[in-house]
Amino acid sequence: MTPAAVRVDHVTKSFRLYHERNQSLKSAVMRGRRSVHDDFLALDDVSFDVPTGSTFGLIGSNGSGKSTLLKCLANIYHPNAGSITHFGKIAAMLEVGSGFHHELSGRENIFLNGSILGMSRKEVTRKFDEIVDFSGVEQFIDQPVKNYSSGMYVRLGFAIAINVEPDILVVDEVLAVGDAEFQEKCFHKFEDFKRDGKTVILVSHSMDTVKQMCDHAAWLSHGKLISAGAAVPTINAYLHSLSAG
Amino acid sequence: MKYLQEVWGSRELLLNLTSREVRGKYKRTIFGQLWSLANPLALMLIYSLVFGVLFKSNPLPGDPSGLDVFALWLLCGLLPWTFFSAVVSTAASSLVGNANLIQKVSFSRIVLPLSTVGSSAYNWGFEMVVLLVAVSIAGGFVLPWIPLLLIVMVLLAVFAAGVGLIFSIANVYFRDTQYLLGIVLQLWIYLTPIIYPIQLVEAASHTHGGLLGTPVTILGLYDLNPMVHFVALFRELIYDNRWPDGVEWLICVCWALAALVIGMIVFRKNERNLAEAL
Repeated sequence: MTPAAVRVDHVTKSFRLYHERNQSLKSAVMRGRRSVHDDFLALDDVSFDVPTGSTFGLIGSNGSGKSTLLKCLANIYHPNAGSITHFGKIAAMLEVGSGFHHELSGRENIFLNGSILGMSRKEVTRKFDEIVDFSGVEQFIDQPVKNYSSGMYVRLGFAIAINVEPDILVVDEVLAVGDAEFQEKCFHKFEDFKRDGKTVILVSHSMDTVKQMCDHAAWLSHGKLISAGAAVPTINAYLHSLSAG
Repeated sequence: MKYLQEVWGSRELLLNLTSREVRGKYKRTIFGQLWSLANPLALMLIYSLVFGVLFKSNPLPGDPSGLDVFALWLLCGLLPWTFFSAVVSTAASSLVGNANLIQKVSFSRIVLPLSTVGSSAYNWGFEMVVLLVAVSIAGGFVLPWIPLLLIVMVLLAVFAAGVGLIFSIANVYFRDTQYLLGIVLQLWIYLTPIIYPIQLVEAASHTHGGLLGTPVTILGLYDLNPMVHFVALFRELIYDNRWPDGVEWLICVCWALAALVIGMIVFRKNERNLAEAL
C-alpha cells in the first residue's frame, strides 16, 4: 500500500439554507438574535485516502457533493467536522484565469495570476517562457487579455496554473478547454505529472476521461461516500447504478 | 503571531495586487495618472470659493511659517482626508468585488482590502508631493519636516487599513454597509476641522460650556474623532512648520494601533467563512 498523499478523515460539511436571505441590516434587526435557517448536509462523514502518485477521480451525479469536497480540498471551504490532511504542496485549479485583469497585458497577468496561485516572482520569471510556450499565445503576450479569444484566455490561465508545480493537483472540470491539440498537450502534462510521482485529484462527468486517466476513484452520492478504490470497478458500479435507477 | 507571519508571507501578492489596481485604474485614459490630481483640485476650488471667499472662513496664519493661503491650508487637511475616505470605501467593497476570486482560489484574503491601502497611498503620495512643492513656493519651509510627515502618513495609512478591514467584513454580511458608509463619510468630513478652523469649534464650545449641566463640552466630544488629531498633525507639520504636541502624537498612535488590531481580529475571525458568506 502506497502512503497517502491526502487523507480525508470523517469530513462533514453543511450549509445553512436561509429562508430569507436578503443580506440587509433591516432583516437582521427584525429577526433579532436567532436566524431562520435549515442545515443542509453537503458532505456527510466522508473518509478515504488518496494514494501518492495516483490519479484520483471523483465521480457522482449533480449535487452529490463533488464540488464541495473539491473546495474543501482546495482550502476554500472549511469542514464543520473531520479533517483533511495533505502531505506535500497542494494546488487547486477550480477555474482558469480567475483574477485576470482585463485591461492588463498577458505578460502582466502571468505575474499577477502566478502570485495569486502562490508562486514567487522568481519562480514565475523562471517559468515564464514555458508558460507562454505552453499557452501558445506568444504573439499576443503584450496585448490586454480582454482582446484574447476565449480559447486563448483559458489556455493562458491553464498554462499558469499547471506550472505551479505542486505535489498534489486538484482539478475541476477544466480539461474541457481549448481545441483537440491543446487537450492533447494537457493530457501529456498530466502524464508527466504522474511520472514524477505526483498526485492528481480530478472531478469529471465524462466517464471516458476518468477511465482513461484515473487509476483510483471515489463515488459520491447525496453527500455520502458509496465506494472508493480502483477506478474501473468504481466507475462500473456507478454506471450500473445509473442504468438500474 | 502566526497570522502576522502568514500576512507577511503574502507581501509579494499584496504588491502585485496593488500594482494591478494602480496600473489598471487609468488605463485607456488620455491624462492617465493626472486624473488622480483632478479630484482634490476640484474639491479645493469648490471649498476655497464657498468657504474661503463666500463664508470668509479665516484660519490663523501658519505659526511660525507665516503662510496665509486658504487653499494650501485647506489641502493640508483635505488630502489626508480624501486618502482616508478612498481607502475605507474601496476596502469596504474589496471582498464583495472579488467574490469570484475568493470562491475559486485559496490565498490570504486580507491582501484584498490591504491592497486598496497601497493603491490609494500611491495616489496620495503623488498629491502630497505636489502640495509640498506648492507650500515651498509659497514660502513654507517643509523640507526638514518630511521625515516626521512620512511617519504621520504611515500612521494614517495604518488607521485607514484597520477601519477598512472592519468595513470590508461588515459589507460581506450586510450589503447596506457601502451605502451607509457614503453617508457616514460625508458626515465625518464636516465633523473634522478640514474646511473650517478648529478655533470655531473652540469658540462654540466656550460659549455653551458644559452640555446639559455636565462637564462634557462640545470640544470634548469633538476630540473623540480621531481624524481631528490626524489633521492637526498634518497642519502643524506642513502649514505651520512646527513640532506637534506630544499628546497629539500619542493619540494618533493609539488610534492607529487600536484600529489595526481590532480590524485584524475581526478579519481573522471571519476569514474562513468568506467563500460561503459571499
